Amino acid sequence: MSSREDRDFVGARVVDPTQGLDAIRTIVVRNGVIAAVRDDAASSSDQTVERIDCAGMILSPGFIDPHVHLREPGDEHKETLASGLAAAAAGGFTAVAAMPNTNPPCDDADAVQRLRAAAALAGSVRCYPVGAVTLGLEGRAIAGLREMAAAGAVAFSDDGSTTSSLKALYHAARLVADLPQPFLSHCDDPSFAGALMHEGAVADMLGVPGDPSLAEAAIAARDLLVAQATGKTWHLCHVSAQETLEVLRWARSRGIKATGEATPHHLQCSEECLRGFSARMRVHPPLRTEQDVDALRDAVRDGTITVFASDHAPHTVEDKELPFAHAAVGFSGLETAVAATFDALGSVSLNTMIENFSTNVAALLGVPGGTLKVGSPADITGLYLDRPWTVDSSAFRSKGRVTPFEGRTFAVRPALTVVAGVVVS
Amino acid sequence: MTKARHLLDLDDATRADLERLVARALDHKRGVADAGQLLHGRMILGMFFEASTRTALSFAVAATRLGAHWLDFSAGSSSLAKGESVEDTMRTVRAIGVDAIVVRHAESGFPYEFARHFDGSVINAGDGRHAHPTQGLLDAMTLVEEFKTLDGRHLVIAGDVAHSRVARSSARAAWLLGAKVTLCGPPLLLPADDPGWGFASLATDLDSVLPTADALMLLRIQKERGDGTELPPFADLSASFGLDERRMAALAPHAIVMHPGPVNRGVEIASQLVSHERRRIERQVENGVFARMAVLESCLTEIR
Repeated sequence: MSSREDRDFVGARVVDPTQGLDAIRTIVVRNGVIAAVRDDAASSSDQTVERIDCAGMILSPGFIDPHVHLREPGDEHKETLASGLAAAAAGGFTAVAAMPNTNPPCDDADAVQRLRAAAALAGSVRCYPVGAVTLGLEGRAIAGLREMAAAGAVAFSDDGSTTSSLKALYHAARLVADLPQPFLSHCDDPSFAGALMHEGAVADMLGVPGDPSLAEAAIAARDLLVAQATGKTWHLCHVSAQETLEVLRWARSRGIKATGEATPHHLQCSEECLRGFSARMRVHPPLRTEQDVDALRDAVRDGTITVFASDHAPHTVEDKELPFAHAAVGFSGLETAVAATFDALGSVSLNTMIENFSTNVAALLGVPGGTLKVGSPADITGLYLDRPWTVDSSAFRSKGRVTPFEGRTFAVRPALTVVAGVVVS
Repeated sequence: MTKARHLLDLDDATRADLERLVARALDHKRGVADAGQLLHGRMILGMFFEASTRTALSFAVAATRLGAHWLDFSAGSSSLAKGESVEDTMRTVRAIGVDAIVVRHAESGFPYEFARHFDGSVINAGDGRHAHPTQGLLDAMTLVEEFKTLDGRHLVIAGDVAHSRVARSSARAAWLLGAKVTLCGPPLLLPADDPGWGFASLATDLDSVLPTADALMLLRIQKERGDGTELPPFADLSASFGLDERRMAALAPHAIVMHPGPVNRGVEIASQLVSHERRRIERQVENGVFARMAVLESCLTEIR
């Protein structure tokens, strides 16, 4: 008797870095779990089971986005768990990690539990809470990290703002030094809070206060020294500056347990996009120089950057279309992240791309998935590698309709999203 | 920006644009027949979100001399202050019959937002640190009056360059007309890249560049800007980049001194030198009216 979570995915090129697999295979799913990965495409052991024809697709371990803002609770006009998780499914993600800067923020065990329960009702994509490092994300008093971990927080971060107190950050890391949950650092020195874009030639021209690369790299160095002092696993969110990459390389060479992520917009866009006071291109950290874009792409190639993240930050068009200094920062990213990241990194192997979207993220967050090995949850992402499509934000599932990629044509297209054996997109 | 309906900055301006506007400004100074008919009956709205005496007055006189109506807008009690969107405010202003908006705002880029939504003409009267294009034009006009052609001439702009919209616009205008421009200040207050803004030389020692200057422009120190982490105290700048008797004597005999005003006496210019014969400060103010007449005429003839 077949269940709702029984299904055969037939005819795809299956790529799983954890098994060194890249071949035409059938993925057999029973009870939401991978039961077999077979090369006998024609036959099925059970003719009553639904067969999904995946010819022409790549099937890989489900993609996990470690950095999204789902806005619920508090800013449901920008995004809800339902719209955000639908966007994730459409974008090829089987799981997301939700950043804590909601209103109220996710800074105690109750908030973690509420988010998990609400997300389970709102959508099929898995949603992992990230707990705040400090109460109210205020950078001062340490939040209840251990109770949040027990309630299901997969990581800790004051994302959106840098934990301003070194003392609080250091003590927070020591508090949970025995737990596996990593810290995720948004690196931007708080004294540059008034900056509106990257400090460089374009900001000079526009007469706009700038945020120097130094403001990111200095905090990255500070935080990775905390990692060294406490032995914690540390992850640098949305790295934007080549100086920060140098800091990350230094830390890794010293044996500090450090990783870094890149976003599609930092891999694609520079400060040049801000000319003419293009307020909708404002984002934190800011789009930097062409050299930084190149350095970030190189850092993926040389393995300094091992994680991709969308930093999905939906806002209403009204919030983005304001005078330059007042426009909300960030982009709707879930539905373009896969395509735009592949587009930026043409020479990177498919194996590495899948590791960075899936395997490495699962390892970082300590969550299931990241593999198609027998016995794993059947979280699967299907892609077409060459099925060009044009970004049209009016078709987004997300409520956020502002993207730096409007009108761009990309070759890679998410084709199938499977969570626990269920086709969710 | 040839014959554009907006004047937001000089970033896309060509030498021909500048020459045309300066020539027209000089025409107006000499007197144009029936100037009062050129914009007869047109409505020009001044929206000064930041305090201004000379620029607002100068625009008002320029508009009046061209036959237009100058309307003063009280920014503090506006619908914008009540939370109305820029787009809706712009539609309303246009529907009421305003042809052009002259806008000043403390934030860089604010006039761009008006221009995105306003069907008429938007003229920037100074936005944050970004641009003050009519000041650039009046300074170019003053230099052309003095030297005929700016080819081969050397303009030194000294002081707090980084926070100055005047520096950005006046430097570009002079450079477009052929002058060599040197920006002089402490490294913190200069553009990070050399050449600055893509065209200007940078110097940190005023005394070394003074002897080759044909014109020295001193910038007002923007004490109202920043939180103390972006600017040194007055005295620190005044000693290194202010004009005193010794520096006045180091200038070439024909060199002139300019300042966009208002002057912080004893800071950018020693008090006793404010009325020195080299100064062109009142000439700049006087020329401002004619430069703005040229701009209003040019922009407003591009819209119905």
